[in-house]
Amino acid sequence: MLTGALALTACAAPAATDTEVVDGGTIVYAHQQEPACVFGGWIEQAYLSYQVLDSLTSLEEDGTAVPWLAESWAESEDGLSWTFTLREDVNFTDGTPLDAQAVVTNIRHWTEGGGNSTANVWLSGYLADAIAVDERTLQVDLVAPYPRLGETLSQGYFGIQSPTALETRTQEENCAAPIGSGAFTVEEWRRGEEIVLARNDDYSSPPANAGHNGPAHVERVIWKFIADPTTRVAALQSGEVDAIYDVPAVQWASLENGDVELLRHVTKGRPHQLTFDAVDGPFTDERVRQAFAHSLDRETIVETVGRGVIPFEGNGGVSAATPGYSEAAAARYDFDPDLAVDLLEEAGWVLPADADAGERAVREKEGERLEVTLPYGAGSIISTDGAAILQGVKEQAEQVGFSVELVPVPQSEFFSGAYSTPEERDIAAGYWTAVTSGILWVNWRPSTAERPNYANQSFLADEELAELILAANSARDVDEQNRLYEQAQEHIADRAYSIGLFARLSTLAVGPRLQGVWQEHAQGGPVFHDAQLLG
Amino acid sequence: MTAVVSRPGGVGAASPVGRGPARRRRHRLADRPWSLWLALSYVAVLAVAALAPGFLAPSSPTAVDYAAALLPPSLEHPFGTDESGRDLYTRIVHGAADSLSIGLGAAALAIVCAIALGALAALGPRPIAALVDRVIEVLFAFPTLLLALLLIAITGPSATTQIIAVGLGSAPGYARMVRGQIRQAAGSGYVEAAVALGHGRARILRRHVLPNALRPLVAVAALAVGQSIVWASSLSFLGLGVAPPSPEWGALLDAGRPYVIQAGWLIVIPGLVIVALALAATSIGRHLQHRLESGARA
Repeated sequence: MLTGALALTACAAPAATDTEVVDGGTIVYAHQQEPACVFGGWIEQAYLSYQVLDSLTSLEEDGTAVPWLAESWAESEDGLSWTFTLREDVNFTDGTPLDAQAVVTNIRHWTEGGGNSTANVWLSGYLADAIAVDERTLQVDLVAPYPRLGETLSQGYFGIQSPTALETRTQEENCAAPIGSGAFTVEEWRRGEEIVLARNDDYSSPPANAGHNGPAHVERVIWKFIADPTTRVAALQSGEVDAIYDVPAVQWASLENGDVELLRHVTKGRPHQLTFDAVDGPFTDERVRQAFAHSLDRETIVETVGRGVIPFEGNGGVSAATPGYSEAAAARYDFDPDLAVDLLEEAGWVLPADADAGERAVREKEGERLEVTLPYGAGSIISTDGAAILQGVKEQAEQVGFSVELVPVPQSEFFSGAYSTPEERDIAAGYWTAVTSGILWVNWRPSTAERPNYANQSFLADEELAELILAANSARDVDEQNRLYEQAQEHIADRAYSIGLFARLSTLAVGPRLQGVWQEHAQGGPVFHDAQLLG
Repeated sequence: MTAVVSRPGGVGAASPVGRGPARRRRHRLADRPWSLWLALSYVAVLAVAALAPGFLAPSSPTAVDYAAALLPPSLEHPFGTDESGRDLYTRIVHGAADSLSIGLGAAALAIVCAIALGALAALGPRPIAALVDRVIEVLFAFPTLLLALLLIAITGPSATTQIIAVGLGSAPGYARMVRGQIRQAAGSGYVEAAVALGHGRARILRRHVLPNALRPLVAVAALAVGQSIVWASSLSFLGLGVAPPSPEWGALLDAGRPYVIQAGWLIVIPGLVIVALALAATSIGRHLQHRLESGARA
């Protein structure tokens, strides 16, 4: 009966042949998550702000930066000063011209004005000053060399807004409808429902890797929020929407056989991984962390639940798509429950004397049970596929004597800092997308009194690791840089500070009525500037 | 409960409660409709599942078997398997304890709160009664689920909050009913007669008002159990109940949702189990109601 229903849907969809491209029109796109603001420090915001804001650089498929608002850039001999030459004749949609001072205002906004927490963690500690040398020349001075600055700036967190809008409008206005120089403007945001993006008819500044120059082909993009993946797929199949984000693994094969175009981008940076709280609780002992890693058959869990769509990722530092990825770190822990048991015994965690053979028992040490808490941002950071994978982790870790409490945390609570202290959790699950292995510094920089690092989920201050990453960040030679980044990942893997689970994907399914949608290479978000509807 | 309500009335102006216990005992098994037997046997099976799940399904409800993921129902897996190869039959059996205790707990809480509120509204001193009346009216204006959602939003999801949320959420409706029943009983001829005979307030309340007013509640309680399980499942389905991978039925429904097209059994079977329980509870409740009414008429 289900097959029949599927066949009917397939028949009802318009055939892709004998159709012509129409001028204008409205793309209806269904996304999963609705962020609080269009622009911000979360990838879900970067997807959105990419439509509205241009950045200084854009990322090519090969991982190098190409011109966008910056026509060219150069690094000084000592690597401590960067000069960006801006594109001419670019205006923000409020009429303000783009100049070097505008970019300076934006940089201040991110770092000092709290405008973008993620942009801030990338720049802080490196940025010395940003100066408008003349109208089109921007000088960025650094504290230490950062050769991957151009690539780093291609992430959506560095989108450039009109300085007039930033200075004269309220925070709420800039949150709901930031003013950029992008291909679209925010026309309306019906909270809980959709954002209407209208074409910027004067658009003149697409990135160098765009499919065409000039304004977008379509007049409008309706960016709907449909949280439930099954509903999203059904909406695509019925033709109610033209494209959807995040195709669940179980639907992939059935969509692949239809006339839907499937796009998949493995994001660079930190993959979906587990970081152990190394300063409080049982995971302060390296052997217990390693035992947890060995207790899991991560590859089988991911391959089964991910149904061949979601790749297994063993490396907890960065994903295989990231430059400077270490294979050795990824392969550090295989599925070896016997070894896990030995490590736990050695660490003093033993089965209680009254445990029944064959019954699942929780190990104990000095009267304390081996209970660990694993909270996760349910629906926001961890999808339904991800939650199923975490359940597999729980089940397998419990076979060797852990007791794992999975706590699904709703989005609002998660982002307001629930379970963020060492006392509240033992394992943190999550990802952090980036374009380089420089993400390691964001995730592992030791906290200091003046500069606490909330992104350091292990709460560790490993100075040796910090030095390795800092050296890598500033290495001018790419091979040398990658070698150092690999060492850092192996340092993390050897001590089992963090273990990888699966690659983070940005996936799109595009219906037969729409063509020319592509995924930008920094984060895999949809690009609608080149997209066209078929009539 | 039957023992309480069928106690013979000891006064001349006997209240309806005091009548015809012998007659009711003469009910023969054959008089009972087959649907009641079906309902009772279903509830009995579920009771076994809740009390001794290992008897019906010996393996662990969370045991994964990645080689057997998303298998349709078969002899080996009568209800099929989920995305991690967990046996759905085993999960449903082991989920009975959670689901039933949430349903029963919530229904019990609702009824207790309803009696307390209803009695206060009907018999309390006037200002208090008026206040409680208004509170019931205001709460009654909220849809049950909304009230439950509000409570969960404040306290966070867990089995206990689910019981409290559904229990308190559905209490106002029952409280209104209790208030009406008590008022009716309090104003009846037999209470007037008892007052005339000089019985004390407490005795009248205990012997006449409460037994007569609360009798219809027996049937309502059975209906409430079914309703509470459906509400509790709705909350779990929304991700506001017991955390996964618990096999609570509503949580199973929620977990099966992404696979509705490829593995429909993951959502259809738990759904049927919940619906069947709600129907069984309703059937038993209706039967009780019918018996009590015919008893009252006799």
